[in-house]
Amino acid sequence: MNAAYYPGCSAAGSSSDYEQSTQAVCGALGLKFASLPGWNCCGSTPAHAVDTELSAALCVRNLDLAARIRAERVATSCPSCLSNLRLARKRMENPQFRARVNELLDEPAAEQLPQAYSVMQLIHEEYGPELVANRAHRRLTGIRIAPYYGCLLSRPADVMADFGNPENPQVMEGLLRACGADVLDFPLKTDCCGASFGIPERRVTASLSGKILDAATRMGADVIAVACPLCQMNLDLRQRQAARECGRDFNIPVLYFTQLMGLAFGFTPTQLGMKKLMVSTASLLKKLDAGA
Amino acid sequence: MSALAGKELRIIGFLCNWCSYGGADTAGVARATQPTDLRIVRVPCSGRVDPLFVVRALLNGADGVLVSGCHPGDCHYAAGNYYARRRLEILRQFLPVLGIDPRRFEYTWISASEGQRWQAAVTEFTRQIHSLGPAPKLEDAEPLVRVADMALTALRPLGTGRNAALDELKAAIKAKLPELDCVIGWKQGYDAAHAAPLFMRTEADVDQLIWGPLNVSNPATYLPSLKGKKVGIVVKGCDSRSVVELLQEGLIRREDLTVFSMPCEGTLDMARVQQELGSYRHIDSVERDEAGVTITADGQPHRFCMVEYAQGKCYGCTTPGAVLADVRLGTPTPVTPAEATPPELALLDGMSLGERFSFWKTQMERCIRCGACRNACPMCVCRDYCVSESRDPHWLTQEDKPTEKLFFQAIHALHLAGRCTGCGECQRACPVGIPILALRQHISRAVSQTFDGYRPGMNTGATPPLLGYAVEEKSIHEREWK
Amino acid sequence: MRIGVFICHCGSNIAGTVDCARVASLAASFPDVVYATDPMYTCAEPGQAAIEAAIREHRLDGVVVASCSPRMHEPTFRRTVERAGLNRYMFEMANIREHVSWIGKDVEANTNKAAELVSMAVAKLRHNRALHAASFDVCKRTLIIGGGVAGIQAALDCAEGGIPVVMVEREPTIGGKMAKLDKTFPTVDCSACILGPKMVDVAQHPNITLHASAEVEDISGYVGNFTVTIRKKATYVDWSKCTGCGECMEKCPSRKTPDPFNEYMGTTTAISIPFPQAIPKKASINPQFCKMLTAGKCGACARACPSGAIVYDMQDELITEKVGAIVAATGYDLVDWTTYEEYGGGRYPDVITSLQYERMLSASGPTGGHIRRPSNGEEPKTVVFVQCVGSRDRSAGRPGCSGFCCMYTAKQAVLTKDHLPDSQSYVFYMDVRANGKLYDEFQRRAVEEYGTEYIRGRVSRIYPDADGRLVVCGADTLLGQAVEVTADLVVLAVGVEASHGAARLAEKLRISYDQQGFFMESHVKLKPVETNTAGVYLAGVCQGVKDIPASVAQGSAAAAKVLALLSRDKLQGDPQVSQVDVKRCVACGKCLRTCPFGAIEMVSFRGQDKAHVIETACQGCGICTSTCPQGAIQLSHFTDNQILAEVNALCQR
Repeated sequence: MNAAYYPGCSAAGSSSDYEQSTQAVCGALGLKFASLPGWNCCGSTPAHAVDTELSAALCVRNLDLAARIRAERVATSCPSCLSNLRLARKRMENPQFRARVNELLDEPAAEQLPQAYSVMQLIHEEYGPELVANRAHRRLTGIRIAPYYGCLLSRPADVMADFGNPENPQVMEGLLRACGADVLDFPLKTDCCGASFGIPERRVTASLSGKILDAATRMGADVIAVACPLCQMNLDLRQRQAARECGRDFNIPVLYFTQLMGLAFGFTPTQLGMKKLMVSTASLLKKLDAGA
Repeated sequence: MSALAGKELRIIGFLCNWCSYGGADTAGVARATQPTDLRIVRVPCSGRVDPLFVVRALLNGADGVLVSGCHPGDCHYAAGNYYARRRLEILRQFLPVLGIDPRRFEYTWISASEGQRWQAAVTEFTRQIHSLGPAPKLEDAEPLVRVADMALTALRPLGTGRNAALDELKAAIKAKLPELDCVIGWKQGYDAAHAAPLFMRTEADVDQLIWGPLNVSNPATYLPSLKGKKVGIVVKGCDSRSVVELLQEGLIRREDLTVFSMPCEGTLDMARVQQELGSYRHIDSVERDEAGVTITADGQPHRFCMVEYAQGKCYGCTTPGAVLADVRLGTPTPVTPAEATPPELALLDGMSLGERFSFWKTQMERCIRCGACRNACPMCVCRDYCVSESRDPHWLTQEDKPTEKLFFQAIHALHLAGRCTGCGECQRACPVGIPILALRQHISRAVSQTFDGYRPGMNTGATPPLLGYAVEEKSIHEREWK
Repeated sequence: MRIGVFICHCGSNIAGTVDCARVASLAASFPDVVYATDPMYTCAEPGQAAIEAAIREHRLDGVVVASCSPRMHEPTFRRTVERAGLNRYMFEMANIREHVSWIGKDVEANTNKAAELVSMAVAKLRHNRALHAASFDVCKRTLIIGGGVAGIQAALDCAEGGIPVVMVEREPTIGGKMAKLDKTFPTVDCSACILGPKMVDVAQHPNITLHASAEVEDISGYVGNFTVTIRKKATYVDWSKCTGCGECMEKCPSRKTPDPFNEYMGTTTAISIPFPQAIPKKASINPQFCKMLTAGKCGACARACPSGAIVYDMQDELITEKVGAIVAATGYDLVDWTTYEEYGGGRYPDVITSLQYERMLSASGPTGGHIRRPSNGEEPKTVVFVQCVGSRDRSAGRPGCSGFCCMYTAKQAVLTKDHLPDSQSYVFYMDVRANGKLYDEFQRRAVEEYGTEYIRGRVSRIYPDADGRLVVCGADTLLGQAVEVTADLVVLAVGVEASHGAARLAEKLRISYDQQGFFMESHVKLKPVETNTAGVYLAGVCQGVKDIPASVAQGSAAAAKVLALLSRDKLQGDPQVSQVDVKRCVACGKCLRTCPFGAIEMVSFRGQDKAHVIETACQGCGICTSTCPQGAIQLSHFTDNQILAEVNALCQR
C-alpha cells in the first residue's frame, strides 16, 4: 500500500497523544506512511458553512499534494478531517465544482485525487484482527471497553460507507477484541457527544456527553475507547461538567483506541502520551497489571 | 423533415411497448420535464430492434439513437431483451469502424414504473448528443485514400505447397468418388497463373485437381446450394472453418459431406500479383520453388515471394490445417500462436473516426453495387433473396449514393456478426478492390472480445453467440442513468 | 390511400402546450392525408362519432389519432374505426400527450414534435395491412395463486359464478396474513371469526380445488389456454388420510421447532398443524427438525397416527393444470427490519414487530393472548409503538407508505389498554393516515378514550438501559425537542414489501413489477385489476398496499374480470403475429433457434423445408424478424417496412 499520512491540526496540539499512540501502533505493525510536506488545515471549522468551494479547496490542496507524491491513499486519524477530505473529493466529481475549486488553487488539482481512509480502517484492512492479535502480547484480558465512534466516523453513510452499517459499525470492536479485551455491545457508539455546542451551549454538550458516560458506566465499562479528538476532549476533559449536569459522579477513563492497542502491544503509558489524560487511568492500569 | 433548426438535434428512440414505452408514459403522467429532441418509435420488444434500424437512422441523418427495453429478467417475451443485449452491444462496438461515434448510440433498460429513470436517461442522452453536435454526413466527408501496410510477419512458415501429397489426395478422392455426387476443388483457370473451381464427377476430372498458392477461392461457398447431395470438398484450413460454420448453423448436413484436406502453406494475394504482372498477353510458365512462385508472362519473369505476396489473412492464420476433415494428408504445419491484427483492420484501427468516415466515403464512391462480395461469401445463403434487392422489406434504395453502399456493407457485416470466419472472399471478389474485409474483421474481433474469445467455425457444436444469450453476460456492462 | 388525421386537444392537456390547429394543418400536407382536424376531446362520444362520420364522408381507409398514449386509448379508437367499417389495424396513434405536451412547455418545439410524430404515424399507416384475428377455444377454469383474504374472495366469487377454481397456496394453510391477526380495525372484531367461515367455504366448495404447501413451478400458454405446472411440496403426511386429529403433535418429541405461523414467537412440534382453524386442517412435517428425517430414528408420529398417514419418504410432486385465466393474490411480507441497527437490529428480545404483537394478543397465540415481555415474561407497563420502520424512509430505499400501519397501531394501542389497564402506550408517528370509513374516528378514540400518547417524530435509537428496559430516543417535532421514553416493550410497525418470490412469479407470469416487487397493473387508475398480460389479473397487496376491505374488493373485482373473460366460448387471437414469406425463406432455421415460445416449426412446402409460425403460440415479440437475414419472416403490424417508414419519416434529409 502506498499511503500518505495527513495528521490534521489537532494532532499537533490537543490530541498529540492520539498522534503519539497512532504512530506507536502503526510503527509496531509496520504500517508505513509517506509524510505530506506542506499540508494545511482541512477546513473543519465553520469554513464549510460559509463557503463550500473555499473549504473544499483546503482539502483538495492536501489531496493534490498526496497525488503529487503518487500516494494512492491518504490516511488520517481524525474523523472530521476524514469526512472533509472525502466530501471534497466527491464534490470534485462535478466538473463545474472542480472548475471553480481549481480557480482558487494555485494550480489545477490532479484529475485523479487519492481517496482518504481512517487509520482505523487501514489497520483493519491491511492487518486485520488476526495479525493484531499476534502482536498483542500484553492481553487486555478482563478489561471491559465501551467502544465509541462518535457521530462522524461512519456518517454520512454514502460518503464514508466503510465501517459496515453506519448505525452499528464493528471495526473498532474487532481490533480491541483482538487485543484480548472484553468489548461491550455499546448501543450509543454512534451518538453525538455534543462537540459542536462545546462553546456556545455547554449544557447541551454536558448532557449529551453525560448520556454516553452514564450508559458506559452503567454497563460496567472500565474504559471508553474513542477515535475522535473532540469526543475524547468532551468525555474526558469535561467529565466533571457532564457529571454535574447529570447529577451523578463519573470516573471513567477515556482513551483513544490506539492507546488501548498500544498498551496491548506493550508500550508504556508514557510512550502513548497517556499523561495527557484528565481522568485517572490508575485503576485501569492496575486491573491490566492484575490480569497480565 | 428537419429537426427544429438550431434548437434540436435528431434523436430517435426505439422503446419496447411493455416496459420502456410505459416508463416514458409514466414520466409524462408525472409531468417530468424532458428535452424535446427525442422521437419515439414503439416496438413490441427490444428484441424486435434490428441493429440495422439503428445504422439506417445514423447513416441517414439521425444524430443519436437510444434503444430501451425491459430490464434483463423482466422481458414480457421472456428472452427478447437478452438477444437484444448481445446484438446491440456488438452494434455499439461496430459503429466506430464505420466512422460513427459510438456515443451517438446507447441502449438501456427502463421499466414501466421508472418514469424518473426515463427522464434521467432522455435528459442525459440528449445532453450527450448535443455535446457531440450534429452528426457529420457521409456526403460531406473529405476524400481520403489509404492503403493497408502489407509488410507482415506470418505466424507460421509460408510456402508454395510444392511437396504436397497431391497424388495421394487424388487417389483418396478417386477411392471415395463412387459414393459421392461430386467433389469440389480447384483446377487451372484461363491461364496457368490462375485457378478456377473444379467439380469432380469422374476420375478424369480428378486428374485436373491442382494444389498450391493459386487456390485462392473458398470452395465451401458452393456447399449450401448442393444441400441434399453427397458432396466431397477439398479444403484449405480457412475453407474448413466455413464448412464448420455452415454445419454449426445447420445449413448443410454432416452425413452428406466428405472433407479432404492438406495443410495449406499460404495463398497469393491475386490483386497484388495482378498489379505486378500488369497487362500481358500470354503466361509462359509458372514455376514454384521453396519460397515463392515465378510467373513468366510475355517472356518476362516475375518472382512472387510468399512472405511478401500472401493474402492478408494468411499472415495471421492459426489454422493452416483443416479444423474438420475426413481425409487428412500431409504433415501438420507448426503455428506460433499469437494475437495478430489483420492488415486491413490495422489500417482502420490507425484512423480517427473522421478519417474512417472519409475513407469509407471515398471507397464507397468506387463501389459499383455488383454484389460480388455477397455472392462470394460462403455464409450468404439468402442468394436470390438478399434484402438488398427486395422491396418488402425495403432496406435499400437503388440510389447511387455512398450511404446506400456503405449501408449494404453494414448489413452484410452485421448479418455475419459471430458467423464470419474471415475467409476474405468478399474482398477478394471485389472487382474494384475495396478493403471491405476490415468491416467483418472488426465485428469478429468485437464478438471474440465480448464472448470469451469466440471464433466462428471452430466447433460444430457451438451456438453462434448472436443466436443465443446468457442471463448474466460476463463482458457486457450497461450504462447506469443517474 | 386516403388517410384522416385527428389532432386531439384533450381539453388543455395537449392544446395548452401544442398548437393543435397548426399540427392539423401541417398534417394535411403529409402523403395520402386527405382530411385533418383538431377536435377538443377525440375519445369522448362526440369525438368518436366525428371520426366515424369522417371515415364515411371522406371515404377514409386509414385513421391517425394524435392524442394520449396508445397504451391508454388504442383499443378505444380501434373499435371506433371498426364501427365505421375499417379494419381495426388500419389505425395508428401518435402519443402527443405523455410524450409531448406533458413533458415540456416550449410550444414551438412541442408543435413541431407533435407534427413529426404524426408524420411517423402516417408513414407507418401507409404500410399497414388489414389483419384478421383467428378465434380459439377457451378453457373455462381459473388459477388463483395465494390463499389470503384477497385470493379467498376471488376464489369464492369465481366458484359461485360456476367457474372451477384451482387455488395454490405456498403455506400449509390458507388464510394469509389476516389469519394471524387478533382483531381488525376499526370495528375491533375478531379476525379469525370473520375469516374462518370463508376459509371453510373454500375447503367445501365443489368448484374449488385447493393445493396447499404448493407453488407454481411454470406457466406456459396464453389467455384462455394456460398450462400451469404446480409443485406440491412434500409434507411427509398423506393428506388424503390425515384427519387433523393432532395426535401426532402430542407425541412429537421435537418441541423446539420454530413456529412460522406465530412469527417465531414460540415453538411448535416438528409435525404440526399451523393453528386450530387451519384449512386444510392437515399436519405436515418440518424436515429440518424431524428426528426421523434428520437422524433416521424416532417414528413417534407414525406410531401415534390413527390413520397411518405418515409417509417419511414422500417426495415433491409436480402436477399440471389447464386454466383459462390466472389471478395473482400473493400478498406481502414484512421488510427485513434488522437492517435498522439503531433499533437493535433484532438483538433486543423486547423489540418486536407488529405482526409478532398480533400473535401475542391472539388468544390462540404463543402467550395465550397475554401481553408479556419476551425477555422475562413480565407484563409491560410502558409500550412504545414506532411507526414507519421500513416505510417512507428514503435513506433505506423504501420511499412508499405501507398504508395500514397507522390504523393497526391505533388498534394495537387500544387493545394494549384493554389487556393491561395500567399500561401506557406511546406512538411515534410521522403523520396519521386514517382515510378509510370510520378510520379517523377510531384513531381519535385511541388518543382520547384510551390515552395513547402520540408523539410526532421518528425514533433515532433504541437501546437497553442497565435495568434491561428499553430507552427509546426520538424527536417530538411538534414541540421541537428531543424525547426519551423508557419502555418495557417496543412494537415496530414494520413496512411491507411484495411477498418473497413475487419477482420470480412475475417472470413466470410475464408481468411487470416495481422496485418493491409489487406487480404492475395495466393502468394505474382505469385498469387496477388487469395486467399487461392478457388473462392475468391481480388481487390484494401483491399489486400495492391495501387493507382488508380493499383487498376483498379487489378479490371480487378480479373474479368479475375472470367471469367476464370466461363467459365467452371462443376468444379472438391477436393477429399481430409473425408470418413467413415462403418464397424468401431459405430454411436456415435461425428463427426456430431464437423464438422464446417454440412458436416456429419447420414444415415441408412443395418438397422444400420452410419455416412456419404456429399462430396461437406466437406472442408477437418479433425476435424472429430481427434475426432473419433475408427478412422472410415479418411480424405483422411491426414489419421491417413499417418501422423503416417511421425511421425514414424522421431521417430523410
